[in-house]
Amino acid sequence: MNDIDRDLRERARVLRRGEQRADAGTRIDRRIFLHRSLWAGAAAGAASFGLFPLLNTIDMAFAQEGQSFRFAWISDTHLLPDDVNTRFVEKTIRAVQEVQAMDPSPDFLIFGGDLAQLGDPVELKLGKGILDELEIKKLFIPGEHDWYLDMGKTWVEMFGASPWKLDHKGVRLIGLDTVGQAPDYWSATNMSPQERMGHMATLDGSVAGAWAGLGDEQLKWLADAVADWPKDAPLVVFSHNPLYEYYPPWNFWVRDWRAVHEILAPFNRVTNLHGHTHQVLYNQFGKVRSIGMLATAWPWPYAPEGVPALTRCMVRANPGDHFDGVGWDKLAFAGEGVENEYVMWRPKEDAVFAQEPHDSGCADNINQRLHARVADRMWPY
Amino acid sequence: MRIQPFVNAGLRVLALAAAAGAVQFALAHGSKHTRAQLQAFEAAFMEQVRIGDLLFHGDPETEKQLGVSLSQTGMACAMCHPYGSDTHPYEFPKWQEQMGEFATLRDMINWCIEKPNQGTKIDGDSEAMKALEAYIYWSNRGSSLDPGRH
Repeated sequence: MNDIDRDLRERARVLRRGEQRADAGTRIDRRIFLHRSLWAGAAAGAASFGLFPLLNTIDMAFAQEGQSFRFAWISDTHLLPDDVNTRFVEKTIRAVQEVQAMDPSPDFLIFGGDLAQLGDPVELKLGKGILDELEIKKLFIPGEHDWYLDMGKTWVEMFGASPWKLDHKGVRLIGLDTVGQAPDYWSATNMSPQERMGHMATLDGSVAGAWAGLGDEQLKWLADAVADWPKDAPLVVFSHNPLYEYYPPWNFWVRDWRAVHEILAPFNRVTNLHGHTHQVLYNQFGKVRSIGMLATAWPWPYAPEGVPALTRCMVRANPGDHFDGVGWDKLAFAGEGVENEYVMWRPKEDAVFAQEPHDSGCADNINQRLHARVADRMWPY
Repeated sequence: MRIQPFVNAGLRVLALAAAAGAVQFALAHGSKHTRAQLQAFEAAFMEQVRIGDLLFHGDPETEKQLGVSLSQTGMACAMCHPYGSDTHPYEFPKWQEQMGEFATLRDMINWCIEKPNQGTKIDGDSEAMKALEAYIYWSNRGSSLDPGRH
């Protein structure tokens, strides 16, 4: 066993301790930092910068016999009417065509929310038309951009209600609604539906507050939905928002993540796939793995703090290429657990993951200090 | 609310100063600033930050008032740069890869308006440009200056 393997194994032991706190993946303690330094030193040039190439090690924890199948994730297409923005339409079509071309064909597509930009039925209809071209089973969960113009009415009519559960080839699939339970921020000031949607659609706005969450009713539903499921059987949970606390000011979380963790904690093989963050993300809370999926529309920057220590950061996207930093996800459920391939539309010779600090979407920001905006806290906002 | 009288007083002082060049010189270089003056300076700056914030977030009314069209795609600056992130104002001026030239922050703002947003570039000294610059710098205050860094 060489030094790198020894380091990987020891790091995996540290991270998988039974008493690990649910959000430990978001912190870098001295021991992990030391490991990171060792790794960087041992494999400079070959390893991705500042990253934990742990995934294969962790996947071993999920090794168990079972049927293999493939599926695909598309989300965050943020469609505007096609006379306003043709690029987003073009990218959604490209994703759908590429999923259709998968060989062998995937068992299903999960659409992870934010089909529309402003919840306009015109946008949702446009998206439905594109997705209808895909001749495989489709599952849907909503995003906040789909919801707050008419409070989900059009979305539910077109794509059905969430949460839902279904069992597929020995895996329990769960689709959550993490967007529809915002505290009422609109009635007191008599906001129009468009104003309500506008605040919700502003990632760094403060008016809509901590809108991401499951709510008590859905938490009870989730507890019931897994109650009969064997603790060692695989669970895949789809959510628009990440189910841990990454960066609350941008709702890169669900506000009741502690309660979610309590429900999922007894299970040994849980993977959460989420959208909303428009970036490459990986985290673990307890025994739950969490993987951030790509958007097709545009990449978000990594948040100023809270990037999970386990994340291998993606490269800095080129703002001159609207296909860079975005794409979709090709997924497989094999004996080892859920495997994810980021299908990022960038020149083939370029890697998805950063190789050097100056090319990293997070490491590049060492000099950056950010502050919340002001205009939405001033009258009449 | 309580600071408003001070702000108003400060603005009156500024107006007086602007009317008399000698007094303005004295204020800038000679006499000790009063609290009211400092608050007035801050208010004048924050008003530009507020306008820049609205432009940056695609507020149509503010664009109309200033006679600019920053985007034709439904995208606003903040959609890729929440909190002004990844604008890196502290790295300018620098060689800007996308433009293939040595560029200032104002050049970069105009590039973003024209390319990703497909809007109409604005005058480098316009009110809208100064406001956008104010918001971007203010959002990134406390960052380490690192001009030239790619």
